[in-house]
Amino acid sequence: MRRFLLPLILLGLFIGESIFVQLTPPELFGSGKIAVPRFLIASLLFLTIYGSKKHGVIYGLLFGLLFDIVYIEIIGIYLFLFPIIAYIMTKLMKILQTNIAMASIIVLLGVALLEAGAYQMNFLIHRTDMDFAAFLSSRLVPTLILNLIFIILAAYPFKRLFEKYADSLNE
Amino acid sequence: MPQFFLNKRLIILLVSIIILVALIGFSLKDRENLTWPEQFLKDTTGFVQNAVSRPVNYVAVFFENVQDLQNTYKENKELKTRLDELARLESEVQRLKKDNTELREILDKQDSLSEFEPKQATVIGRNPDRWHELLIINKGKNAGIEPNMAVITSKGLIGKVKSSNTFTSTVQLLSSMDPTNRISAKIQAGENNFFGLIEGYDKEKGLLLLKRIPYDAKVEKGQNVITSGLGGVFPESLPIGKVVDVVPDEFGLTQTAYIEPGADFYDIGHVMVVKRGALQPELMEMIDEKEEEL
Repeated sequence: MRRFLLPLILLGLFIGESIFVQLTPPELFGSGKIAVPRFLIASLLFLTIYGSKKHGVIYGLLFGLLFDIVYIEIIGIYLFLFPIIAYIMTKLMKILQTNIAMASIIVLLGVALLEAGAYQMNFLIHRTDMDFAAFLSSRLVPTLILNLIFIILAAYPFKRLFEKYADSLNE
Repeated sequence: MPQFFLNKRLIILLVSIIILVALIGFSLKDRENLTWPEQFLKDTTGFVQNAVSRPVNYVAVFFENVQDLQNTYKENKELKTRLDELARLESEVQRLKKDNTELREILDKQDSLSEFEPKQATVIGRNPDRWHELLIINKGKNAGIEPNMAVITSKGLIGKVKSSNTFTSTVQLLSSMDPTNRISAKIQAGENNFFGLIEGYDKEKGLLLLKRIPYDAKVEKGQNVITSGLGGVFPESLPIGKVVDVVPDEFGLTQTAYIEPGADFYDIGHVMVVKRGALQPELMEMIDEKEEEL
């Protein structure tokens, strides 16, 4: 049972993101503002920080692929972004201390990186013609606010969970 | 120099970027169907999504109903005033329908472009990153859904089927930016119809762009826009929206109209996938071989 807990939570967040978008009103932060739930990457980054680094990157790879196939139908965008952001986080954590406030800020930074990376990729393949200034004000800021709320709510439970997970791996 | 190639991480990064570009190129290619591992994954997750989204939807609908109850009195008043008008309209529609079938019989013309067969489906997922506006619905190939079918709600056209798997399908909304997503539409202006193509969506204004309207067409505000059925895929006269504004295009050769979509692209619970009654022309049939030989 223990073994399946982590994949189940991640899968729940994976599906939860889509349900969240379906049920919340589109103009949560005012008209023209788009807030994207990035709960999955937030939990993956908590996993890399508190749990196992290797597992963080591997789950990033798996769920990135799943995200691409199921939601976007363009394979490669999140398959690339999820693991590379998790990897950058492992490098960052080496030079920073792991208290919970620091970890939360770093996770938020990861979300911002992901959003900016996804924007760049979609811009390159002509799926959006938004300029960078518009992207900052209409997407990045609302997304960060939404995910900050999620991170504040979930940071402590995730810390407990992933530290236990790391312990069970060491045994 | 040899040290550069010995850096393992750098090599991994370079190789993965090459793979990334190859994968994106492969998936951007105009492909008719997804590969079978993709279809399998989509169906499996679709199964889980179906199981999760159903109870969630029940709860959401319950709260919506409670909200609706609060406005019932006001709405009832308004609806009563419309009811008289409706009765008159209904009798007229009845008469016109009968006329139409009789005239068709006289002409011996059986199929029409506007005939279609709707299939009900429920939305079980939506792409959370809002770059690509895609929906996942719970009907697939085994319910007869195929790529490029039109998708409507009760208020109007919302998009087309992008790909279909055995048990689920993906719907691409009109609001997503895709240069290959074009719909032949017409503006109903009294006696005349003006034809154009729906190409693109203005995200800031929330309006669709109807391009390539003839420069001399007198398009006015508030006129209805419907599908023309001439694209060969969609049936005729599915409602799209209303004209809000008309501007000449950059070269002044054609006009572009801004259309306010009838359907809401966000609050979508149930959709209908529309199968066109009239035959779809095959691309090969449309290319006249004899002409090519000349």
